[in-house]
Amino acid sequence: MNNIYLPNLVTIEDIYEEAPDVRSFRLVFKDPKLRDTFEFKTGQFGLYSAFGLGESTFCIASSPTRKGYIQCTFRKSGRVTGGLAQLSIGDTMGFRGPYGNHFPVDEWKGKNIVFVAGGIGLPPVRSVIWNVLDRREDFGHITIVYGAKTVADLVYKEELKHWEARGDVTLVQTVDPGGQTADWKGKVGFVPTVLKEAAPKAENTVAVTCGPPIMIKFVLNALLELGFEEESVYTTLENRMKCGVGKCGRCNVGDIYVCKEGPVYTAAEIKRMYNDF
Amino acid sequence: MADKILKKADLGKLIESVTGKGGRFVAPTTDSRQIVFKKVKSAEEIATDYILARNSFKEFLFPQTEVVAEFTLGKDTVDMRGVEVHAPQTVIFGARPCEAASLKGMHALFTWDFIDEFYTKREDNTVVVTVGCTKADDACFCTTVNLSPASTEGADVYLREAGESYTVEAITDKGKKFVEAHAAVFGSGSVKADPLVMPEKIANIDLAKVSERLKDKTHYDDKVWPKLTRKCIGCGACTFVCPTCRCFDIVDEGTAFEGERRKNWDSCQYDTFTLHASGHNPREHQHQRWRNRFMCKFNFFPEKFSGKGCVGCGRCVRVCPVRLDITEVMEEFSK
Amino acid sequence: MEKTLRLKAKELLESGEVKVVIGYGWNRSKTRTTPVFITDPADVDTLVWNPLCVNNLSLYLTRKYKEIKALGRPAIVAKGCDIRNIVVLITEGQFKREDVFIIGMTCNGTVYKQDLWKGELTPNIMPTKCHNCDVRNPHVTDFVVGEKSTFTPPEVPTGMVYDKVKDLDSKSQSERWAFWVKEFSRCVKCYACRQVCPLCYCERCITEKNMPQWIETSAHPRGNLSWNLTRAMHLVGRCTFCGECERSCPVNIPLNLINQKMIGVVKEAFDFKSGYDEKTHPPMIVFSPDDKENFIK
Repeated sequence: MNNIYLPNLVTIEDIYEEAPDVRSFRLVFKDPKLRDTFEFKTGQFGLYSAFGLGESTFCIASSPTRKGYIQCTFRKSGRVTGGLAQLSIGDTMGFRGPYGNHFPVDEWKGKNIVFVAGGIGLPPVRSVIWNVLDRREDFGHITIVYGAKTVADLVYKEELKHWEARGDVTLVQTVDPGGQTADWKGKVGFVPTVLKEAAPKAENTVAVTCGPPIMIKFVLNALLELGFEEESVYTTLENRMKCGVGKCGRCNVGDIYVCKEGPVYTAAEIKRMYNDF
Repeated sequence: MADKILKKADLGKLIESVTGKGGRFVAPTTDSRQIVFKKVKSAEEIATDYILARNSFKEFLFPQTEVVAEFTLGKDTVDMRGVEVHAPQTVIFGARPCEAASLKGMHALFTWDFIDEFYTKREDNTVVVTVGCTKADDACFCTTVNLSPASTEGADVYLREAGESYTVEAITDKGKKFVEAHAAVFGSGSVKADPLVMPEKIANIDLAKVSERLKDKTHYDDKVWPKLTRKCIGCGACTFVCPTCRCFDIVDEGTAFEGERRKNWDSCQYDTFTLHASGHNPREHQHQRWRNRFMCKFNFFPEKFSGKGCVGCGRCVRVCPVRLDITEVMEEFSK
Repeated sequence: MEKTLRLKAKELLESGEVKVVIGYGWNRSKTRTTPVFITDPADVDTLVWNPLCVNNLSLYLTRKYKEIKALGRPAIVAKGCDIRNIVVLITEGQFKREDVFIIGMTCNGTVYKQDLWKGELTPNIMPTKCHNCDVRNPHVTDFVVGEKSTFTPPEVPTGMVYDKVKDLDSKSQSERWAFWVKEFSRCVKCYACRQVCPLCYCERCITEKNMPQWIETSAHPRGNLSWNLTRAMHLVGRCTFCGECERSCPVNIPLNLINQKMIGVVKEAFDFKSGYDEKTHPPMIVFSPDDKENFIK
């Protein structure tokens, strides 16, 4: 029988410590056939199993332009993520997916892109960033505004260095006031404020944002102030999910099932939703 | 062709005919001072004088707890195995027309792009036999949601009380096959059905208006919600007895070496239902959770799954420890 | 009595002494009572008083009800048995005596479940607690409504619950086990018993803690048994036998039997009955140097 709740087994090929309690897994399907045929689109998510503890939902943080593996990044915060955090390289875990809609990256060809992320909100955005950078010539100017509470809380530190160094990306990094270290060279201030200071051009530009709900709220306002169209601002909603396939009933925002009709929405779509965030 | 009838005295034969072929026969029976849908073995067990069973028969299609996968953990190995659904041939006898009307929406949800075979395989093997109501109480409100004891939506076979017999009407192909398969038990003849008892339509409720009001998103932050639902204590009793409530949780249970993954009924009335790992909760207050349930019944469930979000069985009203009556909220939203 | 109640409620709201009166009102068809929260003096006629007033409204004074708390100082319409719960809440430091205005109702008993009401209160539809009630004249109040009751409870408690407890006590351990396994097998894990209990005021119940998972959430025998036993243990020495859990149970689990059994054990071991004196702490939350158990010393 076809069992929609049965995960595929994946092996942890590598582990990266990103920040205190935040780590990334590079995962490879055990089934060689699936390893070759598995496809997903940027912005989709999956359910990751720690056997005996349960499943947790995160986005796929790697880009579909990188084949043969998927990457996820999570913060250790509960039963399942606590269990995942105890796994080592070579261990087995479960994966179901990909689920949900995606960022329409192909429609953005020829446009500038601004990425705005806060804290653990960078992983879903990272999938888009690499998707775009891997075909850099298709897009115009690329700006990344990324902030976290403290310097230690910034994730993907190596990649931030790379993005800063490559020359074809404008990277603005910031930490919340009080979160800086003595040798911190980035900005100090909250993401929405820093975004307004950086003032990326709104014309022919798409914005992608993810972060804590309160940050998203202010970032959306800031983008509108900068002249962005609501239809050109994208975000991804991360509601609690159990099934991921439109059955279990907890991820809805009013009449919208985030797992099936999301998680990616434009600011215009968010504005039309019920106030159920 | 004369109409089919089923003599009440032949119910035992029908049970034998069903169970003899390996099926299970589910009917309202008395258990712990309540009328409950349960598997029965004899006609004597079947309750005759009842309005509705305490539970909805949904648990025979969507059990309260069920294993979906099993796993064994070795030192360096993990074995995860899907479980085959246990879907015996089942007859639900004596369901009421209201609760049968829940099936269309349930089917639409469990087959929305991803097919939940734990549900559909059971559904395939289930025949729903409804009996039109000859009794009602003040919690019944099927007529207010455009159903009635004469509705046949969701039923495979529709019966009506007729003295010592039932009149028999096969509604679906499945129902026709069922009547044919047990042809020896069904007689033919002409009997006059007893009158149905129609609950009075609640005067101040206009379902179309409720739906219209809910579409206007400004109601979300309306003070009417905390006011109307302040007394709600946040137990999940209403959701557990509701024939259209179908939200669930997925949990792992077991030891460090082996265990199982289960699909368990859950309730949108619990504060942990939507609680994020970060501590943020989109529906932090009880009135928001109540609003969600009401929205589900009268806005997005019917719109998305073109089924009935609420069938007016009144179970939630009867079971509520603080008598929070959904029809009083419907009335408010009919204004 | 209703008239006095309404007048008092009006006076309290108008003077601003309280901001909300928590009481009973009718449902639409006037067949059942339901909790009401009166904030406007013009609405006091909503308040009713009759034997259908079964709910223990002290539930709404607990910390879980932040939105009710936000309304301001409450007055509560309470029967003697409900007041026992208010007293326990005070002894457990949930709020202070002066934080609530208690309108005590003298009471001649209520129905066990509202569906039993046929227009007259007869002994056979009253719960065991009413037959043995020693607080028909409410004991901790700011205002009393009603004529003094002359009822004296029987010296030896009587009623169905006591009979059944005695019957169970006379059985063997395995028979008792079989009895409870069967009763708990019906549990649907709706947690109505917990939600309706004024003493289950934890903001995060042990069933919701999953690191580790103390109680399995599945409604299978193991999960049901561990939930029901844990609920019982958490109420030892605290439960007042108000009976709300059993009344609310949608599957008729006889929770009153467990509650009364525990009350008997506590009475015997500590000579304590909960909910009578707001200055005496329940035995489970105090340590006394002359405790008869020496493991703790």
